[in-house]
Amino acid sequence: MANNGATAKIPVKKQTLEDAYSPPANFLEIDVIDPQTHGVGKKRYTDYEVRMKTNLPVFKVKESSVRRRYSDFDWLKVELERDSKIVVPPLPPKAWSRQLPFRGDDGIFEDEFIDERRRGLETFINKVAGHPLAQNERCLHMFLQEPVIDKNYIPGKVRLT
Amino acid sequence: MPTTPLGSPTEEQEKLLIESFDIVKQQAFQMKRCLDKNKLMDGLKHASNMLNELRTSVLSPKSYYELYIKIIDELRYLEEYLTDEFLKGRKVHDLYELVQYAGNIVPRLYLLITVGVVYIKSKELSRRDILKDLVEMCRGVQHPLRGLFLRNYLLQCVKNILPDRQLELENSENDEDGMEVGTVSDSIDFIHLNFSEMNKLWVRMQHQGHTRDKERREIERRELRILVGTNLVRLSQLDGIDVEKYKQDILTFILEQIVSCRDAIAQEYLMECIIQVFPDEYHLQTLNGFLRACSDLSPSVNVKNIIISLINRLSVFAQKENSGGIPDDIELFDIFSSQIANITENRADMPAEDIISLQASLVTLALTCYPDRIDYVDKVLGTTSEIFEKMNIELIESKSHVCRELSRLLRLPVDNYKNILKLLELKHFAPLIDVFDYLARKSLSLYILTNAIDNETKIGTAEQTDAILTMASTLITDQPDEPSINEDPDDFAEEQGVVARFIHLLEADEADIQYLMLNTVRKHVGTGGVKRIRYTLPPIVFRLFDLAEKYKSVREDDDKWEKKCSKIFQMCHQTISVLIKAETVELAELSLRLFLQGAVVAGNVRFDGYETVAYEFLTQAFSIYEDDICDSKKQFAAVTLITAALEKMTCFSTDNHETLRTHCAQAANKLLKKPDQARAIVNVANVFWNGKYIEDGREVEMKDGKRVCECLKKALKIANQCMDQAAQLQLFIEILNQYLYFYEKGNDHINIQVLNQLIGKIKDDLPNLDATDETELIRTHFENTIEHLRNRIENPETDEPSYTGIVL
Repeated sequence: MANNGATAKIPVKKQTLEDAYSPPANFLEIDVIDPQTHGVGKKRYTDYEVRMKTNLPVFKVKESSVRRRYSDFDWLKVELERDSKIVVPPLPPKAWSRQLPFRGDDGIFEDEFIDERRRGLETFINKVAGHPLAQNERCLHMFLQEPVIDKNYIPGKVRLT
Repeated sequence: MPTTPLGSPTEEQEKLLIESFDIVKQQAFQMKRCLDKNKLMDGLKHASNMLNELRTSVLSPKSYYELYIKIIDELRYLEEYLTDEFLKGRKVHDLYELVQYAGNIVPRLYLLITVGVVYIKSKELSRRDILKDLVEMCRGVQHPLRGLFLRNYLLQCVKNILPDRQLELENSENDEDGMEVGTVSDSIDFIHLNFSEMNKLWVRMQHQGHTRDKERREIERRELRILVGTNLVRLSQLDGIDVEKYKQDILTFILEQIVSCRDAIAQEYLMECIIQVFPDEYHLQTLNGFLRACSDLSPSVNVKNIIISLINRLSVFAQKENSGGIPDDIELFDIFSSQIANITENRADMPAEDIISLQASLVTLALTCYPDRIDYVDKVLGTTSEIFEKMNIELIESKSHVCRELSRLLRLPVDNYKNILKLLELKHFAPLIDVFDYLARKSLSLYILTNAIDNETKIGTAEQTDAILTMASTLITDQPDEPSINEDPDDFAEEQGVVARFIHLLEADEADIQYLMLNTVRKHVGTGGVKRIRYTLPPIVFRLFDLAEKYKSVREDDDKWEKKCSKIFQMCHQTISVLIKAETVELAELSLRLFLQGAVVAGNVRFDGYETVAYEFLTQAFSIYEDDICDSKKQFAAVTLITAALEKMTCFSTDNHETLRTHCAQAANKLLKKPDQARAIVNVANVFWNGKYIEDGREVEMKDGKRVCECLKKALKIANQCMDQAAQLQLFIEILNQYLYFYEKGNDHINIQVLNQLIGKIKDDLPNLDATDETELIRTHFENTIEHLRNRIENPETDEPSYTGIVL
């Protein structure tokens, strides 16, 4: 009496125990932490540590840590919008008003503002790096793993070796 | 896949939950209203809306659970409605297909399960097929939290409809309607699949979210464990399962899943779950497989706890009255002991304390399941020694984890046997103690001796005595590794008190063996130094006194008893002398008392030469008094004791007695304080009356009225010299009492005149005293004395001198 309509279905392949219990093969975790403000006057800026852990084969290094400032994130966004086909998520806003003169506070160097921006940047980079198409872009690899960004690099794709 | 909740704060969770509850309430209301109006399709729509709430990703497991419970509760209305409908003749088949069109998978599967259960009850289609379909369809939800709860719902719904027949026969598989019902094997397959899927989801939860939340995630996972464990509970509730099926079909599968998942939280919980939900009879038949799996668990799993838990269960089982015990064909001890060895070997990084703790669990097993097999316990102890050797552990420091575990292990047989003599049968017990540092050794020694005391274990041979004292050497003598810091004197006294009490447990049936034992213990404690012997030598002396009495009681059977007794008293003499040599005041007093006691005992035992011994002991007491006791209060106490001993003793010849009592009188006269002198002399008066000596082989009572009177007069004279009037009056009253005592005893040297004089004096002086508490006491004493006299006058006894002429 098998295959009565109500319970009929396409046979599925049995999952092996190894597959069932192995940790996910797409682990990727990026933390944006430890904001530090450097320099004085017009040259004053804040940078953040961008720390990545992954087991994705596309990344050469499985654990890396670099320091990046807001403009570096902005650069990455521009590169991706130009070269990849993905919809790049927004960055946290640029806070023009905080950069006006005669403010009573520290402007863009206020701790609260820096932390809010840090969280925004973390969300941004996790979304970007989690996208399978973005993962092939050379600019992303450079951003995440090279100590210094070479803005004169030759854009292109990274291949799995 | 939706992201996991980022752990909203409690308030946020509450708010979210209340919102969901509101929706559930509304939708449930609508659902019921529609069903009541027989609008099934609309009812299902509202049920589906309600179930939609379970698609959330923002609730914590705890809140999700609350929501789930609420919804499941409402869903029961639907199930009841459907069951009614089916009873009215509605075909469930259509419904089963219909609900599969629900738009979202979570509500779809909940509805499918709800309808499926009714479908099974309707017997329109093979139960086995529907069950199989349901459990496989649930694969559609792969989100861990949602999937776990969905499958829990499935498990709960099928609780009473899982096929439970054992028979696999073709024709019995169909019930009266010709439908395949399935057998217990189908149920097992069903639960197996559900279990492995749930376990997978549960393990996978670990990988969700940020690594920094790992700890919180582990807590949440532990909160959810019971959902997975319910599968095993359900398996254990199937009646169609027997040992064979458990072994072949169930355990192998479950263990494979547990081992393969490589997740410590899951492994620890599920192994424990197996132990707790399945019957002990099954465990006994599958020990090897289970224990082998233990050795394959993840290195971070605490295997020790799992094995201990199993052993505890089996131990309880073995002791249960109607369990029939451990079957003879199962070598429980051997299996555990080799599997534990195996596990220990497989886990190179297992800490020493865990290894020892496993050995301790083996001891528990041996003690409870094989109470007669001392060799089993000894074998574990031997293995434990070997483990230390292999790990190059030569010294275990107290307060370390290993020390705690080893102490626990060694205390197990002590507690269990309640007889420390049995410990001596364990070859490997004493050597293990030596691995400990000083403090740990001492603590265990105390534990052992205290156990003997608590259980009143009688020690009966010199060899046993020697072995026990060697084991407890930290309490007996200074140790090379003893720390130099000063111990708390109270603690020290307490410890030595334990040793002293232990000495009282030495009790052989035969006096000769008792002597050997006391000799042995004397040798041991003799090395203890001044600070210990004050506690340990006196009990030996007392035991020797007892032994002398014992020889006296068996004198008919032992013609050498007198020789043996004099040897005993020699030993006493020598032992007490050791105490004197310690040259401290308290020990001098102690030795004095021991000598007096010895004199009294020697006088009682009456072996050959007893008088010499008694005399020697008394004179020793005198010389301690003279040489070593300086404090006037203590001198008075010493003279009082010596005089009292002499008064009681009956073993001296006339000459010896005279020498001794004269000495007492002299000593009394020489006391420093007048009241002390007076009282001591009154005591001597008692010797002159009650004392006994031996003349021509007969005991003679002194009854020397004249000397008594002289003593009392002298006491009065001394009292007169007292400057403190209260003290003087007190003395007068005491002396008056003594006068009355001797008068009533018939001492004719006392006349009424003397009594009247004394009473008159007291009466005259008493009002002059200042009113104090002390005065009050003195007055009462006097009034009581007068009351006594009055009594005597009113009720004269014929055989006693009368008080005629006395003035009150």
